[in-house]
Amino acid sequence: MASSYPPPFEGTGEVKEGFICPLCHKDLQSFYQLQDHYEEEHSGDDRHVRGQLKSLVQKAKKAKDKLLKRDGDDRADTGSYESFYYGGVDPYMWEPQELGATRNHQDYFKKHRAARIDHYVIEVNKLLIRLEKLTSFDRTNSDVAKIRAIEKSVVPWVSDSDVPFCPDCGNKFNIRNRRHHCRLCGSIMCRKCMDFVPLPLAYKLTSGTRESLCIPGSPGQSQAPPSGAGASGMGSRRGSLSSLSSVTSMLEEKDDEKIRCCHHCMDTLLKRQQKLEERDHMPDIVKLYERLRMCMDKVDEKAPEYIKVAESLNAGETTYNLDSAGGLRLEVQKYYELIDALSKRILTLGMKDDPAPTPKSLHLQKMIRYTATLFVQEKLLGLMSLPTKDKYEALKEKRKQEQEKKLQQERLAAQESMRKRQESEKNRSVATTNGEVPPAPKPPRMTKAGGWLPSADSKKTHSELKDPLLQQIDNIQSFLRQAREAQRTDEVAMLEENLRQLQDEYDQQQTSLAIALSQKLAQEENLQQGEIQRLEARERSEWEQRAPAADSRQPSSIWECSLDLGEPVAGYVEEDKIGEVTPKFERSPLSLRAFPALAGQEESPPRLRSLGGHVTPPSSEGPNSSSLNPFEEDSTPTEEDPSNPFFEDIQEEHKEVSNGKKEYNPFDDEEDNGGQEEPAATSLGNPFEEESSETSNPFTEASGDSPGVSTNPFEGDEDAGALADIDMIEEELLLQQIDNIRAYIFDAKINGRLDEVELLSANLRELQHTLQEQKKTH
Amino acid sequence: MNVTLAVKQYVTRMIEDSGPGMKVLLMDKDTTSIVSMVYTQSEILQKEVYLLERIDSQNRDNMKHLKAICYLRPTKENVESLIQELRRPKYSVYFIYFSNVISKSEIKALAEADEQEVVAEIQEFYGDFIAVNPHLFSLNLQGVARGRSWDPTMLARSTQGLTSVLLALKKCPVIRYQLSSDMAKRLAESVKLIITKEYELFDFRKTEVPPLLLILDRSDDAITPLLNQWTYQAMVHELLGLNNNRIDLSRVPGISKDLREVVLSADNDDFYANNLYLNFGEIGTNIKNLMEDFQKKKPKGQQRLESISDMKAFVDSYPQFKKMSGAVSKHVTVVGELSRLVAERQLMEVSEVEQELACQNDHSSAQQKVRRLLRLPGVCELDAVRLVMLYALRYERHSNSALPAMMEELAKRGVSEKYRKMVHSVVEYGGKRVRGSDLVTATDAVAITKQFLKGLKGVENVYTQHQPLLQDTLDQLVKGKLRDAQFPYLGASSLRDRPQDVLVFVVGGATYEEALCVYNLNRSVPGVRIVLGGTTVHSTKSTQHQEVLVLPTVLTTVLTTVHSTKRY
Repeated sequence: MASSYPPPFEGTGEVKEGFICPLCHKDLQSFYQLQDHYEEEHSGDDRHVRGQLKSLVQKAKKAKDKLLKRDGDDRADTGSYESFYYGGVDPYMWEPQELGATRNHQDYFKKHRAARIDHYVIEVNKLLIRLEKLTSFDRTNSDVAKIRAIEKSVVPWVSDSDVPFCPDCGNKFNIRNRRHHCRLCGSIMCRKCMDFVPLPLAYKLTSGTRESLCIPGSPGQSQAPPSGAGASGMGSRRGSLSSLSSVTSMLEEKDDEKIRCCHHCMDTLLKRQQKLEERDHMPDIVKLYERLRMCMDKVDEKAPEYIKVAESLNAGETTYNLDSAGGLRLEVQKYYELIDALSKRILTLGMKDDPAPTPKSLHLQKMIRYTATLFVQEKLLGLMSLPTKDKYEALKEKRKQEQEKKLQQERLAAQESMRKRQESEKNRSVATTNGEVPPAPKPPRMTKAGGWLPSADSKKTHSELKDPLLQQIDNIQSFLRQAREAQRTDEVAMLEENLRQLQDEYDQQQTSLAIALSQKLAQEENLQQGEIQRLEARERSEWEQRAPAADSRQPSSIWECSLDLGEPVAGYVEEDKIGEVTPKFERSPLSLRAFPALAGQEESPPRLRSLGGHVTPPSSEGPNSSSLNPFEEDSTPTEEDPSNPFFEDIQEEHKEVSNGKKEYNPFDDEEDNGGQEEPAATSLGNPFEEESSETSNPFTEASGDSPGVSTNPFEGDEDAGALADIDMIEEELLLQQIDNIRAYIFDAKINGRLDEVELLSANLRELQHTLQEQKKTH
Repeated sequence: MNVTLAVKQYVTRMIEDSGPGMKVLLMDKDTTSIVSMVYTQSEILQKEVYLLERIDSQNRDNMKHLKAICYLRPTKENVESLIQELRRPKYSVYFIYFSNVISKSEIKALAEADEQEVVAEIQEFYGDFIAVNPHLFSLNLQGVARGRSWDPTMLARSTQGLTSVLLALKKCPVIRYQLSSDMAKRLAESVKLIITKEYELFDFRKTEVPPLLLILDRSDDAITPLLNQWTYQAMVHELLGLNNNRIDLSRVPGISKDLREVVLSADNDDFYANNLYLNFGEIGTNIKNLMEDFQKKKPKGQQRLESISDMKAFVDSYPQFKKMSGAVSKHVTVVGELSRLVAERQLMEVSEVEQELACQNDHSSAQQKVRRLLRLPGVCELDAVRLVMLYALRYERHSNSALPAMMEELAKRGVSEKYRKMVHSVVEYGGKRVRGSDLVTATDAVAITKQFLKGLKGVENVYTQHQPLLQDTLDQLVKGKLRDAQFPYLGASSLRDRPQDVLVFVVGGATYEEALCVYNLNRSVPGVRIVLGGTTVHSTKSTQHQEVLVLPTVLTTVLTTVHSTKRY
């Protein structure tokens, strides 16, 4: 578990302060070191402005490359086609320039448009007002003369005599080619140049303006809508009638269901109508498209976040949580699916409609789909996979080691340079002693991590030995404190949330552990009870036999001893919170009875050994701890030693043991905790695992005759757990790979790269096969 | 001074100004090529521009859910189309950008047509030129001359193009021109007139050393465009034909379907960007490296992916692998096709002789070699004609000229009358009589010593010995030694210091060889930025029709020039 401890201070993501070379950005530990470095490395450099500029330009190019390539492929031999510089600047690298000159004609345009629009708007409104007046009375039930009178009152008609020819087509008016008046503007034209506004259209147009144009004194204003509905219904019925009548009487027609008007007025009205329709109309494609863009925006927002997290995790840092990263990945992937689905819907939009969509809109749909695929392709392929759990642990370990190495190197280098400097300066004799002193500022003090620092009171030794979860909780609590002090409420909230999650997790872990442990204890107890009963029976008989020989002092010492042993055990159980009270009670009688037996059987070593075997389990409730506790190890041989004839010695030893235990209790406790966590969260390369197997309790080995305690129960568990875990991780990895390959196949299919599809699907099959096999063996 | 970036920034701004939502880009013929040189389709798609339409196309549907970005040259036809468009708008809102100065009266006409208030923006964005490279632009104008003077419409267009470059780069320059060329002078005056007229536009922050505009004439160096080029970019243009960053490879034998048409753009193709100016041999090596690199990364078909880690490595490297495989197959195909053409047309030999003609002074050997090549069946008609042209230009007044014999050879080969006549036309266009500076034989002592030294040193590469005249001119210019007598200043102002920002414009078209030379100058001379432009960039034309003899644009220029001389 120790491997999963975050290093005491985090290296990346932090901004180092202090001594960084301005030219190569190498981090140097001290001023002297920096100066040395500068003199050594950069003395030959062109310190001229041009040199600086060149490096700037190179940087700019790098940035540009990054921008252009996105997932920059750092080919090893890029250098071979990299251009170098002779002093001038490659035109491709000319410094960015501002936008070229522009000139805005907006104001001038608007001025002229406004004049035009005002005129136009007035025209339209005039027409609409007239139209409303013309439709606001009941046309169907009025006689022709009355209608005409009203119509004439709306707009003054041009007198017939003024217009001898149709102003539109130029035909002469006569008895056959009669004059017609536009009801909206009063002008005259011939039959051919005439248009009609159907009443439904008229109502539709005027309904929009009725509220906005609120003409005072317009009589039909309020009752218009209901009558309109009725009229339109009737109009359609009468339509056939009137068309019949128009056939019979060519000359005299009654246009009660439509309003005569000229082309110009009709045009204006139609435009108006179109505008009204468009205002409310929102095609499906727009709705879908908006959703599509929303998803894309989300991806744009989440994907970089994920990539940052994944990069950090892949580098073995502990800034982020692996699980939450997995969640983020899932979320992003879900968005991709959504994008895919939405763009597909856009593509097939209107395909089944009767008037098939126009080629242009089909093209538009195709292009949107294409863009979406491009988007998914580009972004999805850029999504790196997360490390698996065990790999992550390995990465973390590696990183930790690297950092330590680096730190050490830096320190060494610092010392070295310091010494060099001092030697070269040959100043004082103090320098020699100083040389051994590492530079005062320690890296932890120099770090300026993105968030809060774990408070200094959590000691290194302490933290290293603790459960990572607990440590995390500790850290977060200290962050919380700091955040509260700094009064950053948002961060406090976030941290609290984190803390709660961690605690939940910890609690869960603990309860599951407790359950497992109690089960084990119950088993042990059963065994013990059996043994005890057996022993008791034997003891009783022996006791009865030997009772007179027993010294009066002995019982007291035995009691003492048992108490000594019993106390720590009790403390244990309480501290561990594992516990039921019963085992404790069960145990103390055991020791109570065992030791009398032990005391009384000095001459029967085998029995003693077997007894010792029974005695120890209670003393090491966390069996691992017994193996790790040096004192216990020391003690075990003595206990074991059957040839030890001096009972007092044993007692003393026991005292020592108990003392040691008391002294080191906190330590012990932690160790115990660490040991207990192991099966729950296995990690390869766990030093504890090695330790526990190497220093496997010699005592337990020795007491091989009692099966209940002969082997460390945790050891076995650990192995099994680790195995299961590896399997699980393998499976997870496989699943992930399968996912990835599927994405690639999809992509390859879209691009029509059949060979790649084949290759990929072969891989996919293989992977699935492996997965199945693994599942079988599992 | 980056012309590509200038146009790209304009287009980007246009798209961004219109805000989110589906967009259509309405363009005319010219702006289509302008935009396509700086934006690839996928790039513009990412910016939500889903449709690219021509303003003059009739079959555009009503799509009120789209925003329209109009990028148009301010021509009469475009304004008329736009007025019609605004009367019956097909899109919800219009963002109008003109690529050059538009008159107030036209703005007014547009304003009056916009009864539906659909216009949200109306501006001038001066991207009225085709940005080929960051330092190279073209106006895509063919046949700009009528005889020895400008075609008036072409002069107007060239002036517009050149002023738009100045505006896009925010430069208000001092102008110098080539004295021997009347066309250069006319253009210089025309540009100056615009700068004076639109003084408000040209009111940029003053720099210590004002920028310089140098206007040259192609006829001063007719040799350069006749030579075969060996840089990647130039070869692609000459032999395959690059049209809006696309090459048509459909005629390549046994080409696979997805390589019929490939995009070559320095903006998003590293290999191309890095090899633009390398010669054919170097490209060969680099292609090999690229292949090997790829082979290493490529998981072999039979190589089983044994372990999970193998698979993981494969899957992780897959995107890169895919990207690389695309680039590799593209460039391998292109270079393969180039070398096929080189072999087929015996370009190595042809080029060697061309270079000898252009750079050395050995008449008898030159004429022998030319005549030998003329008899070779592999040498294509065009190259044969070009060789004779070069010879004619080079040994125009040689006492022992073999030109008549060569013309006979051409006739024997079955080269058409039209092309044979062009040999004379070229001499008429770029002969000694016309040239202001001496192209081949050095006159002053310094130049003679230089040439002598060059002869002593020997040549590094026989195919790239030739240095265009422009190299010399610019060399002198950046050293502040260009003679005022040959290249006078327009107006009273003149430059006392060495120039820093230089814009060179070649009336009659620039070449890729010159582009390379400007590129190298930029890289080698600190503190100087040079941009080259021309009425066109000479390259092969109309490669679509196989049966048509591939005709370099310089010949079209010559052709129109000479024809019109006869007409007038």
